[in-house]
Amino acid sequence: MIDRAFDLLLIGGMLGLAVQVVASRALFRSVVLFIALGLLMAVVWARLAAPDLALAEAAIGAGLTGALLLAAYRALQPAGEAGDAEPAALPRRWALVAAVLSGALVAAIGWAVLGLEPPAASAGREALARLGESGVKSPITAVLLSFRAVDTLAEVVVLFAAFLGARVVAEPLGRAGPGPRPDPAGGEPVLMPLLLRVTVPMGVLVAGYLLWSGGHQPGGAFQAGAVLAALGVLLRLTGRLQPVAETSPAERLALVGGIVLFSAIGLAGAGMASAVLAYPEGWAYTLILLIETGLTLAIALPLTLLFSGSAGLRWRGR
Amino acid sequence: MTVAEWLSVGALALGAAFFFTGTVGLLRFPGTFARLHALTKADNLGLGCVALGLALQADSAWVAAKLALVWGVALVAATVSAHLIARYTLRERGGTGRAPP
Amino acid sequence: MTQAGLYTLAASALAGIGVYGLIVRRHLLRRILALNLLGNAVFLLLVALARRHPGYVDPVPHAMVLTGIVVAVSATALALVLARRYYAETGLRHLPEDEG
Repeated sequence: MIDRAFDLLLIGGMLGLAVQVVASRALFRSVVLFIALGLLMAVVWARLAAPDLALAEAAIGAGLTGALLLAAYRALQPAGEAGDAEPAALPRRWALVAAVLSGALVAAIGWAVLGLEPPAASAGREALARLGESGVKSPITAVLLSFRAVDTLAEVVVLFAAFLGARVVAEPLGRAGPGPRPDPAGGEPVLMPLLLRVTVPMGVLVAGYLLWSGGHQPGGAFQAGAVLAALGVLLRLTGRLQPVAETSPAERLALVGGIVLFSAIGLAGAGMASAVLAYPEGWAYTLILLIETGLTLAIALPLTLLFSGSAGLRWRGR
Repeated sequence: MTVAEWLSVGALALGAAFFFTGTVGLLRFPGTFARLHALTKADNLGLGCVALGLALQADSAWVAAKLALVWGVALVAATVSAHLIARYTLRERGGTGRAPP
Repeated sequence: MTQAGLYTLAASALAGIGVYGLIVRRHLLRRILALNLLGNAVFLLLVALARRHPGYVDPVPHAMVLTGIVVAVSATALALVLARRYYAETGLRHLPEDEG
């Protein structure tokens, strides 16, 4: 009873925010409400027994996407300029028809799947039954890095490609990313060094913990990379990391290291184990942890650089 | 119900009341500073009450410690963001010329 | 109605809202927001359907959505950079074919 009430409240809040994101007149309001929707989505994932997704959504969906959107809002909506000067909207009637049809399509897919008898031999049941073969105890990590490792490899390649694409169309360094670069040496709010002293060590610790815990409970490279990227955003905004136009050798290594390592171990699997992206007997846990460490950096650095709008970052303390 | 459970329910209800008050203040108060005042004070206390209520139901001391940590980190984040928002607003209005750090 | 059914309905409503926003609003940033709503609807459908099995939660859709969240943020970041460059070049915040 109370569970159902909570579900309804959550869904009502989520849909209400989504309507406001689309319908709100002020663009800034839409952006802020979208970030709030991201936080609510994290609660939805937790409610649907998906703690891995809740962790990733809180850091990526609400945190990083929000930072990217706010930076873009600032660039697209210079201060002092009125309104968003949108051309007049399409006839809303047709849009409404399209919206109802697409909603009905999703509902039909959902009901069709729900109406079927759950298959006795689904991929998920197979994955759970053969969890022992994967070398890790968390089913999500087993699917990501053992049973469907090729998807994960493709995903970091997509992230790298997005970074390369962003470099191709990048604006000049002074205008890219979140805008003006603060100089940490002068005129900083008094609480800022305190915040960084608390959050930076704690963020690194949390990322390390998430990376390690991925083997047996919710967590893993995705969540750890997202936390590190959020830390990178904080350091970039406070001027500790300054954007530069060249990528240093260490940054290059972090950007492609995860992909190269993953591919190399995967190819070695063709010779030493049964297939490409299979791990030799007894080595699975060690190799998965090694790959996940590489992936953490290969996820965190491109995301930070995409926010920063630069090819590289240099440390600049106080 | 045991005494701990009653205390837990009481703390959770108190926390919810604080959140409610803070949200009403956020929606009804005029101006950035008054809103910040309502939000930061009431919500920080509300989160503290909720964390306490959950800690009383926790299975182990570790879980209670994690809840305390959550509250502590949220306090730091709320303090700094309230400070930054207030500082920015003061500057926007010309305030004291340059807001003291 | 089961929990999976309830969230399936929520996902369809979210998809409808996303498509509506994508068609009606023309500001590039709003289009990117609407596209993200649509993405969230698809993720929600997958995760809701992962709950339909009696006795266990299917980890495969969860892994797909986890990958999807990272791909969505990279696509959003690239789209935002493109929109910013487009604005810097043309001074427009909507596509030319949307005029008139």
